[in-house]
Amino acid sequence: MSVTKLPKIMKIVAALMMSALVLCLAACSTPGGDKEKPAPDDASIEALIAEQPKNAEEATDLYNRLMQKENDILSSDKSLWEKVFAGANKDSSMIGDGSNYGDFLLATVEGAKDTFSADEFNVLKTGAEKIKKIEDKLAALKKEFPDCASTSGAGESVDAASAGMTGDAGKSTKFPSFKGKDLDGNDVSSDELFSKSKVTVMNFWFTSCKPCVEELGELEALNKKLAEKGGQVVGVNSFTLDGNQGEISDAKDVLSKKGVTYKNVWFNTDGDAGKLVSGLFSFPTTYVIDGNGNVVGEPIVGAITSAAQREALDRLIDQAIANSTK
Amino acid sequence: MDKRKNPASHRLSRLRGWVQAAATLLTNVHLPNFVKGGIYQGAGKTVCVPGLNCYSCPAASGACPIGSFQAVVGSSKFNFSYYVTGTLILIGVLLGRFVCGFLCPFGWLQELLHKIPGKKLSTKQLKPLRYVKYAVLLLAVVLLPALVVSDTGMGDPFFCKYVCPQGVLEGAIPLAVVNTGIRSALGRLFTWKLIILVTVVVLSVLFYRPFCKWICPLGAWYALMNKVSLLGMQVDRRTCVSCGRCARACEMDVDVTRSPDHAECIRCGKCISVCPVDAVRFRYGFSLPSKQPSQPCEDK
Repeated sequence: MSVTKLPKIMKIVAALMMSALVLCLAACSTPGGDKEKPAPDDASIEALIAEQPKNAEEATDLYNRLMQKENDILSSDKSLWEKVFAGANKDSSMIGDGSNYGDFLLATVEGAKDTFSADEFNVLKTGAEKIKKIEDKLAALKKEFPDCASTSGAGESVDAASAGMTGDAGKSTKFPSFKGKDLDGNDVSSDELFSKSKVTVMNFWFTSCKPCVEELGELEALNKKLAEKGGQVVGVNSFTLDGNQGEISDAKDVLSKKGVTYKNVWFNTDGDAGKLVSGLFSFPTTYVIDGNGNVVGEPIVGAITSAAQREALDRLIDQAIANSTK
Repeated sequence: MDKRKNPASHRLSRLRGWVQAAATLLTNVHLPNFVKGGIYQGAGKTVCVPGLNCYSCPAASGACPIGSFQAVVGSSKFNFSYYVTGTLILIGVLLGRFVCGFLCPFGWLQELLHKIPGKKLSTKQLKPLRYVKYAVLLLAVVLLPALVVSDTGMGDPFFCKYVCPQGVLEGAIPLAVVNTGIRSALGRLFTWKLIILVTVVVLSVLFYRPFCKWICPLGAWYALMNKVSLLGMQVDRRTCVSCGRCARACEMDVDVTRSPDHAECIRCGKCISVCPVDAVRFRYGFSLPSKQPSQPCEDK
């Protein structure tokens, strides 16, 4: 009789569902970009160091190629270097003091020796020594051709993102450029906005998002603090995109209630920056952008009011300032 | 050849597992998002699904009615969620708690968990707990989000934020597995709701649908709507032999002969399957209460 078949069918369905659930979880892999490139060999680095540029153009070219080698070294053992950077961020005084970046890395690696195995330590130490050599050459180049570093977009510092430290090496790290307006109707262009600040903390929010609105006061305080260091907070209210007047006035109401004085901007949704916003699904989300317009690290998801999130944000801010001042 | 008097009702209740599977899949159709680590944000999300299914499930094709209701009443812009309430009344009138029995993914999950072999406990002695879900609906979904507001007039979605295990299962866990940003945002609230989820999972193995019976505010809503729903149960008093098998088979602790429109009846149709004389069937359409038996079937 067909009724007696019911439990059997249900059992099959149950088994299918269970396996689907297990597969769902198993299918969740780590984000891509974890493939590590082989470290550049000594010979190619030595060859580059031995080169003597004749003019400024050659110097710039050599400079960029050396920077690339540095990046390659750092991205070849990404996970290891990430550990080193995590340790280094706590004391970043050496990053900005003009000393050799290789020395800084060596010191950090030495300092964190206990956290690595002997093999790992060797890999890191050789890497740091290679970087030290490259840095010496870079310094010499800069002495002879002062402009060789400034003409390259990369700058001297190895920002974590371009070195593949942020977990997604293939992704462009430039924040998509945009032309828009602030909520008072003044024109804003991303190039100008980012380049005049050593760090831009870009906070994405919307008017009816409670955790977003609750952190506005803290962001205002952060903006005041950053102003002393040449940084800024910029807000982007996703409701105001495309210049929706009603939403702009609602957003301004909330901002004034929360005493926010920093700039809030909108741009069109059809641009790359607009697409970035429509791809966000958790609000608030906060990006940290350096003076070159590069996104530093991973965006912070959720309010920055918790201690752990705030610490992560402060680390990114320090890193951005270091990127911009080098 | 089917000699039954109510073949359609038998067929429907027999196919229930497949309907539940299909409904769960349709409610969560964007499966690749589980790997991508994002959620679908297209036009489908402007519509509510009938069952309890988190908006933030990567695969979700629509919005959760309970989540949407709270989001709207809690926002400073609106006083009441007319659109969501209208949707809930419509689904309630058309289907009632049939949604729980056939369409709700979280109901299905609890049923599947209950199939795990082991000791099963009866909920017959725990009937007063049924009323908890009405309190959850009134407080966590309606009153607290609307009344406990910040200086800018915003409320929290209390049920989603502090109670809902479906949100942890479908939203927080899958997103945190693939998305580092979400992972680093997890805190004490996540731990609390994970405890709720684990409790519900364990209870579901022991009891039949504990969350539906005691906690679910959506179930509470449809329970109220069961009284006026077009879809209901019908017992033919002339053929009923009062054997009591239907009441014993009912895992929602309902005696269909006594109260075919009982608030707890999720229209699963088990009573239809076990009735030896085919006296129980699904009915659809208007039916006056006077036509329904108010007394248990007479002995013959």
